[in-house]
Amino acid sequence: MPSADVVVVGAGLAGLTAAIAAAESGARVHVLAKGHAATHWGPGGIDVAGIPAASTPRDGIHRLAGQIGHPYAFLGDDVAAALDWIRPHLAAGGVEYVGDLDTPLQLVPTSIGGTRRAAILPAGQAAALSPWAVGERLVICGIAGFKDFWPEAIAASLSRERIWEGGNRPASVIPVSVALPGLAARHNLDALEIARRFDDPAWRATAIEAMARAIASVPGSGGRVALPAVLGIREHAAVLAAVQQRLPAAPFEMPLVPPSVPGMRLYEALRAALIRAGGRAQIGEMIQRIEHDGRRVTAVVSAAAARTFTVRTGALVLATGGIAGGGLVAERDGRLLEPILGLPVEAPPADDWLSVDAFDPAGHPLEKAGIRTDAELRPVAADGVSLFDNVRVAGSLLAGQRYVRERCGDGVALTSGWRAARSLTAVPAGHVAEPGSERP
Amino acid sequence: MGELHACDVLVVGGGATGAGVLRDLARRGLRTLLVERGDYGSGTTGRYHGLLHSGGRYVARDPLAARECIAENRILRRIAPASIEDTGGYFVATPDDPDDYVDGFQAACIAADVDCAEIPVTEALRREPALNPGIRRVFKLPDGSLEPWQLIESNIADARAHGSDAWSYQRLVGMERDGDRIVAAMLRDERSGSLTRVTPRFVVSCAGAWAGQIAAMVNVTVTMHPGKGTMLIFNQRMTDTVINRCHASSDGDIMVPVHTVAILGTTEQRVEDPDRYEITREEVAALIRQGEKLFPDLGKMRLLRAYAGVRPLYQPPAEVTAAAMKDGRQVSRAHTVLDHAAMDGVDNFVTIVGGKLTTFRRMAEDTVDMVCAKLGVTEPCTTADEILPNQVPGKTYWLGHRLADHEAEGGGDADLLCECEFVTRPMLDDFLDRHPGCSLDDVRRGTRLGMGPCQGGFCTFRAAGVLGERAGRAGATDVAELADRAILGFLRERFKGTRPIAAGRQLQEQWMIAGVYEGGLGVESLIERETPEASREVVGAQR
Repeated sequence: MPSADVVVVGAGLAGLTAAIAAAESGARVHVLAKGHAATHWGPGGIDVAGIPAASTPRDGIHRLAGQIGHPYAFLGDDVAAALDWIRPHLAAGGVEYVGDLDTPLQLVPTSIGGTRRAAILPAGQAAALSPWAVGERLVICGIAGFKDFWPEAIAASLSRERIWEGGNRPASVIPVSVALPGLAARHNLDALEIARRFDDPAWRATAIEAMARAIASVPGSGGRVALPAVLGIREHAAVLAAVQQRLPAAPFEMPLVPPSVPGMRLYEALRAALIRAGGRAQIGEMIQRIEHDGRRVTAVVSAAAARTFTVRTGALVLATGGIAGGGLVAERDGRLLEPILGLPVEAPPADDWLSVDAFDPAGHPLEKAGIRTDAELRPVAADGVSLFDNVRVAGSLLAGQRYVRERCGDGVALTSGWRAARSLTAVPAGHVAEPGSERP
Repeated sequence: MGELHACDVLVVGGGATGAGVLRDLARRGLRTLLVERGDYGSGTTGRYHGLLHSGGRYVARDPLAARECIAENRILRRIAPASIEDTGGYFVATPDDPDDYVDGFQAACIAADVDCAEIPVTEALRREPALNPGIRRVFKLPDGSLEPWQLIESNIADARAHGSDAWSYQRLVGMERDGDRIVAAMLRDERSGSLTRVTPRFVVSCAGAWAGQIAAMVNVTVTMHPGKGTMLIFNQRMTDTVINRCHASSDGDIMVPVHTVAILGTTEQRVEDPDRYEITREEVAALIRQGEKLFPDLGKMRLLRAYAGVRPLYQPPAEVTAAAMKDGRQVSRAHTVLDHAAMDGVDNFVTIVGGKLTTFRRMAEDTVDMVCAKLGVTEPCTTADEILPNQVPGKTYWLGHRLADHEAEGGGDADLLCECEFVTRPMLDDFLDRHPGCSLDDVRRGTRLGMGPCQGGFCTFRAAGVLGERAGRAGATDVAELADRAILGFLRERFKGTRPIAAGRQLQEQWMIAGVYEGGLGVESLIERETPEASREVVGAQR
């Protein structure tokens, strides 16, 4: 029977971060996940605290940490360290990140013609972060036949002052469309297919020439050009360098509706870092049950095609996500369950889950639902007593955050994953609490 | 004062009834204008369960309604086959249904001229294996699945071919009465705000549950009893046959397969205001409990959304009884044409109330007969005889018809905008060519874009992009506002439908879609917080 020091359930940012950090410190790590996680849906940046009131991520962390029960109340001080730690791992996988906790939060344009607050973005998106100079234009360059990026609609929307909250914005937003070699007559292209084409150096050279000509045909000069986020998967760094060198305006990628190519790059970089650190990951595993002896988890039993798989383990990191990831399951009768360990879920009553308006500025009470932990990320009962000594909870499963609305999900995932691993593998002796003695 | 427009007859309300009345008047040579405050079919017509009644639901308690249903069922199969999926219907006796009702059912059907044959339970279970294996008896009736929007469009097209017209997004804001006559009606364009003054010789109110509000404009009282019916949409067709419980009609006792999904109906609840109602989790739970008597695994199946429609129920004031107020099902589904000349001293005004989608043509015929008698028109009704435009005799639709049609035309590649419902770019372009200035909601109803299992998660954004591209190339200036309305309207509508059923896989998908649009795509930046959206008027979701 295989055995591990740490089993991580979940392969999103939190789970893979925990796994890399644990494997780096010498632990034998095994990641089990039922499938890909939110990385494949998200824009591929690291959103730490993009709340409207905040000037920088650091300011945002400080504001969120002041909320009762927010994970940043006990994680906030570690975000900088976790971010510094992950950067070289991601860079080694070909994904450089630009921006840090003191980078001003900027409104960056999106592929539905809206804006979102960001400060830490992969290099491919980073050109969107600088303020717009006087008279600077933005070209929106679409790809003919690609149905998930509509330059006319995006440009029309971004030409409105209110989308930029009345602040700094491009002087003009101009749409253009380019036919890429061999794709013009194609239908039902998806982002991943185009990205794979860009990985091919010969095709890429012709495609970038066509893009350069199309952009040059637009009135005006310089400025920036927004492209759909399809600039390569494995060869992204090379594609980006070529695009930056050849296009007559500073290029940046706009993330699209799923599947998210920048998210896949982030996932691949994390997975590669895990393998380098000596960890293992198995995707496609449904957890069947957890074996434990009361206060300690001893084994994880999962089911894949036609067989069950049991891993003995010294510890467990639960990074199964929130409602979207399936880490929390809402029953018709109004109960909210954590299906792996059956942990108690902190949640409002079912009648109060959702506000009347989809876009209620106050959000939906259900967004804050999750698992309550102590400061060491051990799950606790309603009375605050920890339930398992060798279990840690990380990521969107943690109660008290609005991971989408507060744009804090990546920061919480990264920091809690990193902290969970350290807590399980390298905790200074003085920090070890007696079972049940610690209260949040 | 606004623009002036003269016509013979003004029809108020663009549901199926109004469209049927428009067509019938036009065919009898009266120049008619139909006005609708929103999109056609956006009221009760577009919020029903999709059932083409055989009449079986009414044979015991309302044989008159049953008789009308089967007659119209046969006519619609002839004149509007493209709007019908010929699913057939089973009335099944579950262990909970009383023997005396079941025993008398077939005789009651025959008495009302409704075709009814008992079939072996094993045969029914072979065709519909998800049915409760404990069912005791099964009757086969000619129920079907009826697509309302295309039906309305065909009726309007026929009316236009006969010299009449229909205007959507034109709200009737007032009528002028001079003694015993209505002399003018004032319309407001819901998009531009501009006003039009119409001077009709006659006014027909087909406003359904809203008929009281229309009549009040000329100081006439029509007391409607709007009855809210809540329905649940499941993400799969657990049945290819319409399934009814064989008992006195009640909540949660009918399942209708509709294109790629299936709809469980309904509840019956009085509401004060047809524009304001809510669907509660308790209602949803009660519907599912009842539905489980037909399909035991229903509780485990994924729900897509809950929605409600408001039935245009009416009883003359003297007949309003305490019993009727308690249970709307006691009110006849048969219709009534109110002659306001005799009742209220307004000579050129009638209101059609009651009825149901299946009998809309008959309702129109009865209404138009009265209007023609008053206007001295002697042309007979021909609406039952002539097939509607855009229909092929005998060609009903079926689940795979779009793909089959596409392949029959040589197939070939085309951008698939809505994977769930097979809506291609050429299909969307064709719809937009025929409906200039329409909203994405109109597109949804007209093409079924976004109505399948993913509920518009991806195709709405694409359709907004197409709208933007077309508008941009046509030099329109409100491209961005169009796209905003499309994307925000879709997300709001989807949220409304999910709210009362928030659980399980559907809540998970709602959360993912919200995460995508609110997270990476920054959809909230599109919201103009100061302007309340018109779509908030109705609290309950659409179908």
